[in-house]
Amino acid sequence: MPEKRIVLKNCGVIDPRDINTYLGQDGFKALAKARTELTPEQVIAEIKGSGLRGRGGAGFPAGLKWELARNAPGTEKYVICNADEGEVGTFKDRYILGRDPFSLIEAMAIAGYAIGSQTGYIYLRAEYYYLLNLLQNAIAQAQEGGFLKGLVIEICEGAGFYVCGEETALMDSIEGRRGEVRFRPPFPPTQGLWGKPTIINNVETLINIPQIILNGAEWFNHIGTERSKGTKVFSISGDVERPGVYELVMGSPLRELVEELALARDVKLVQVGGAAGRVLPYQEIDTPLAFETVLGAGAVIVFNESRDVIDIVFRTMEFFAEECCGKCTPCRLGTEAMIEILAKFVQGSGSKEDLTVLEDTARMMQLTSLCGLGQTAPNAVVDTLQYFPDLYQARISKSEVP
Amino acid sequence: MADKSLPQLLASYRERKHLLALLKEIQEVYGYLPGEFIPEIARSLGLPVAEVYGVGTFYSFLSARLQGRNVIRVCKSAPCWLKNCELIVETLKRELGIGPGETTRDGRFSLQLTNCIGACDQAPAMMINDTTYVDLTPEKIPEILGGYK
Amino acid sequence: MITVQLNGSEVQGRPGMTILELAQENGIDIPTLCYRSELNPIGACRICSVEVEGARTLVASCHTPIAPGMAIHTHSPKVLQARKSIVELLLASHPDACLVCDKANLCELRKLAADLGVGLPRFRIRKRYYPLEDVSPYIVRDLTKCILCQRCVRACREIKKQDVFAIAYRGFDSKVVVDQDQPLDKEVCRDCDVCISFCPVGALTKREEALVPKKGIPLIMKG
Repeated sequence: MPEKRIVLKNCGVIDPRDINTYLGQDGFKALAKARTELTPEQVIAEIKGSGLRGRGGAGFPAGLKWELARNAPGTEKYVICNADEGEVGTFKDRYILGRDPFSLIEAMAIAGYAIGSQTGYIYLRAEYYYLLNLLQNAIAQAQEGGFLKGLVIEICEGAGFYVCGEETALMDSIEGRRGEVRFRPPFPPTQGLWGKPTIINNVETLINIPQIILNGAEWFNHIGTERSKGTKVFSISGDVERPGVYELVMGSPLRELVEELALARDVKLVQVGGAAGRVLPYQEIDTPLAFETVLGAGAVIVFNESRDVIDIVFRTMEFFAEECCGKCTPCRLGTEAMIEILAKFVQGSGSKEDLTVLEDTARMMQLTSLCGLGQTAPNAVVDTLQYFPDLYQARISKSEVP
Repeated sequence: MADKSLPQLLASYRERKHLLALLKEIQEVYGYLPGEFIPEIARSLGLPVAEVYGVGTFYSFLSARLQGRNVIRVCKSAPCWLKNCELIVETLKRELGIGPGETTRDGRFSLQLTNCIGACDQAPAMMINDTTYVDLTPEKIPEILGGYK
Repeated sequence: MITVQLNGSEVQGRPGMTILELAQENGIDIPTLCYRSELNPIGACRICSVEVEGARTLVASCHTPIAPGMAIHTHSPKVLQARKSIVELLLASHPDACLVCDKANLCELRKLAADLGVGLPRFRIRKRYYPLEDVSPYIVRDLTKCILCQRCVRACREIKKQDVFAIAYRGFDSKVVVDQDQPLDKEVCRDCDVCISFCPVGALTKREEALVPKKGIPLIMKG
């Protein structure tokens, strides 16, 4: 399946500092259409009908999220754009924000209209501070152009913590607290920021919105697979010749992205979805990229034949231990235990019992952790134990009695 | 640029939700969160001291210890690791005479290792303050550092 | 009323009720650590996780409300294995000082380990050693034993309307701190032992009872 530009339509086409170039590409027409031709309920029906699902990794149906927030009682509601992409290997939102900030603002305005919100926040990760000025400029121009009537968009900067990309931690961070995860239910659409109905959408999810409103749900619904509609923007890096951002129709095979577009050679394994994602060995390279199979937030890291699998897994676990908020036991202590055990395999001094402990601990973390971070932290361990058991066996201490 | 005093800063951040933004600005102006400020911040926002301390010690861009005038954050996550970020760290250690987590004696630089900064397509990468440097090679390091006082 | 399946039997509960409350009403014992009925739940320890058919993960029963048609298993093999694994982690990071600990066999962690049949952890992890805080005339804090259930934090805040404690740092280094991580020494703690009574382990002790011969309840053989 070919590359297709829906989300990246304006990237490299418009001047991100000049709203007029955006207006020249049908900019803000979707917002005008929504406000004049559609009721908020009809806007939500379009998004629902399109089959659009969240692009931040969880894949929750966007229209349903909006509908829940719309129907939640109360007049004070919030629209949040999650621009805190911290997943290892993800840089698509950075790419989009820097090239097409206006589509994001238009989408937030449509979202505000649809759910009945007067306040929007863009939660920008601290590492992307250099995009702040560009975004502020885009908001100001949209305001001057009269496109934001009734909606105030504020930019809220992060302060460096992966877990704040998790929606409930993100809200706590906006509230000026420690970005610790909250349990659910209640879900943000009914009880979110300051306890008010809130929708939180990833940058890429939102960028799809104006296109859907302009072209209709049907148009979008015909792109992709049965349960994954539209396109997905991938960030590919690692052992490839052409790293970068590529937009593919949902369901495209991993091989197309890795070998045909990014020109990878001698691939040993691919991590799809970043550190929290799934590890696929080369023999799975024809796996279609979709919610039904593997996707995550679209980070694809390629490792070639020269790389050590156990080393990769160890580093992945180190990442999670460093980025764990510390609130729940499984993640706080589970990542720590896994590091200790994986370190033994790195040194070649593992034991059979260690393998059992790895499996038990991984399973428990997936099942009981409070948030997605802890639940996905053991993915790399689980997948490599499945696909590369021999490599673990080979690191069991020779001194152990068979 | 005249540094803002604590009372000036407190006056511009009056609400509970501003705590993080306030702490970030103090970090920027003073290079750390001075312990003697914490009770005043707590009083000003009507919060327990422990809670302000809790927020101040949670985020990686905030620090209770004095940081150098310029903070270098070298990415060590997988994509940068695959592109030999260790070589960049080694070069920085040699150029600065300090290791990760340390600050040069003249207070010019602090060196830190960090997780993914979203520049994986141009790895290896690092940040100095708010600026991201990409496609690093050991040769580029001295010139980059020379741009900071 | 809401009808759900609880361990295979049909039972009824009230809207808004949690799975834990429903189980308790029906005489089913789900272990808890960070949960206390007097405090707002936080879902931190995950010991009370149960299986709900159709759910991707287990759910913590202390904060998950019942919903019509739910099929809940409180003691399935999957659940028990996960609980054991959590207790193993807690034990691995806990000091091996039970023999000299004032909490003795009143310790909820010890009871849990005994109930679930968890013995010596199969692995080692770092333990967090902190100096004993014995400067307060009222409370002795031994944070080396703390399991971060946050019951003291919430009890002080929600019951006594004080804010002596808060959580600081992050991840494995998370810690219940006083002010800017100073040893506990607060006058508001005079005549108050609420946090002590809420501590499930031996991290908080009354000053006058600390370091005197321990007084657990006598161990009586069952049978």
